[in-house]
Amino acid sequence: MDAEPILKVADVTKKFGNLVAVNRASLEVNRGEIVGLIGPNGAGKTTLFNAISGLYRPEEGTVFFKGMNITNWLPHKICKLGMSRTFQVTRAFTHMTVEDTVRVGAYNRFNEKNVQDKVDQVIKVCELVDIRKRVCEDLGLASLRKVELARALATEPEMLLLDEAGAGLNATELATFMDLIKKLNQESQITFCVVEHVMQMVMGLCQRIVVLDSGEIIAAGTPNEISNNARVIEAYLGKRAVHARNQ
Amino acid sequence: MFETATQGIITGILMGAIYALIALGLSIVFGIMNVTNFAHGDFVMLSMYLSFAVGSALAWDAVATPLITAPLMFLFGIITYYLLIDRTLRQMYVVQLAVTVGLQILMRSAALIIWQAQPRALQYSFIQGNIQIGDFQILTSRLFSAVVSLIFIAGMAYFMNKTWAGRAMRAASDDLGAASLMGVNYHKTYALTFAIGSSITALAGGLVMSFQQTDPVGGIRFGLLSWAVLALAGLGSLPGLIVAGIIVGVVESLTVSFFDPRSRLLGVYAIFILVLWLRPRGLFGRR
Ligand SMILES: Nc1ncnc2c1ncn2[C@@H]1O[C@H](COP(=O)(O)OP(=O)(O)O)[C@@H](O)[C@H]1O
Ligand SMILES: [Mg+2]
Repeated sequence: MDAEPILKVADVTKKFGNLVAVNRASLEVNRGEIVGLIGPNGAGKTTLFNAISGLYRPEEGTVFFKGMNITNWLPHKICKLGMSRTFQVTRAFTHMTVEDTVRVGAYNRFNEKNVQDKVDQVIKVCELVDIRKRVCEDLGLASLRKVELARALATEPEMLLLDEAGAGLNATELATFMDLIKKLNQESQITFCVVEHVMQMVMGLCQRIVVLDSGEIIAAGTPNEISNNARVIEAYLGKRAVHARNQ
Repeated sequence: MFETATQGIITGILMGAIYALIALGLSIVFGIMNVTNFAHGDFVMLSMYLSFAVGSALAWDAVATPLITAPLMFLFGIITYYLLIDRTLRQMYVVQLAVTVGLQILMRSAALIIWQAQPRALQYSFIQGNIQIGDFQILTSRLFSAVVSLIFIAGMAYFMNKTWAGRAMRAASDDLGAASLMGVNYHKTYALTFAIGSSITALAGGLVMSFQQTDPVGGIRFGLLSWAVLALAGLGSLPGLIVAGIIVGVVESLTVSFFDPRSRLLGVYAIFILVLWLRPRGLFGRR
């Protein structure tokens, strides 16, 4: 394993007006790892992903990717450097076919002459062969999640950020999805950082877990350490207690 | 009566194909960048003057002038994008409106200064005369222009659906953020989109100059025509754009035949308003 982490987030703060959505968050992901980012709803996970991938500019802090300071880079340059992602609320290209959607990702590294092989390969890996000619707006959630993964994979990333990619999938779909991620991690050496609510997926997949609560990172460690961490239990149980009282 | 109507419809259909081409430029800029270019009609006006300048300097046929004016308008589009449009993208909508309306006024004034107020026309040569079908006449230059317009629109459909740049433009239109995160450079994609929209007016301008003259306020007419066609077609359907262009062309032509030639824009404006009342998404629009 490289000594240098592939992703290093240092003291990143992102505000929306008065709301501090992410507050001086720091985390590191090593090459080859699958790291889970968990936390209650509204903790700032998606916002942190947006700040890392270039969709938002953080007010403070620095993001290093592959040793480069990418903090204020435009998203397409970050993608070129080797990072891609999926979205919690799916954002496939609604008026394009599955194949064209994947192709847009593939153009990141391929040109008109050699793009087709990449498209075919990714469509096969993500099991989209049957629906490759369908238009994205006609697809259901499970298919859209696969399309987003395929589009991101087509850019040939070294690191993939998955934002609740398991949400809304049934048990079988989830199992297939987890196998695919493990396979991509082992065979294609893709590093993953995954935001996930489905605990089965987090515990089964991640080597390390980072916990975010109210914009702050409150714990990081192995799945075992995290499930016994007092602050994490409190953050989750606290929310549940409040939730229960309100019902 | 019947003959006047038929002749009007024939002329209208031919003009309509050209209007569809003109509206195509407005449509891709609006559809992909969500930018409303109020100066679009004046891009056509400028293109027509450029055709006039090139045509008179080189003694070229009007329809050949786009070989030179299209690259010029492409460049003009890129410069306009980076100097003006790009700066307005993250601003309030009124800023964008003010900038393109300002550009419209600027272009009219510049045309007035450079070419003065009197209309300019080219002595066209190679496509001349009429084709006679029974009692009806078709101006050859109009027929030629209509056919070229339709071929170009078909070519544009191919470009949008089958090439790297076209797919990037469609992806940016659907979700700019997601497209950027997948490696699409939005500055370049937008600059290309705007430049293509601008060079389309060069082609249209050259074609129109083969049978019409230009003057500094001619942009008003082409702007209104484009908006009427676009409103009628809705966004996202190129066949829809052609049908809408033809409807607008026919209405304009019949207004001229049966009322007063000076009321031609009233007919066009009436369509625009009717569509807004009855079918705000247009006849074929998906958004
Ligand atoms: N674009 C935005 N504008 C304003 N507030 C936002 C925006 N995006 C997220 N927030 C707020 O920031 C906080 C963190 O949201 P988010 O990052 O989506 O949390 P998570 O993904 O962990 O559920 C929430 O309070 C949310 O309401
Ligand atoms: Mg989220």
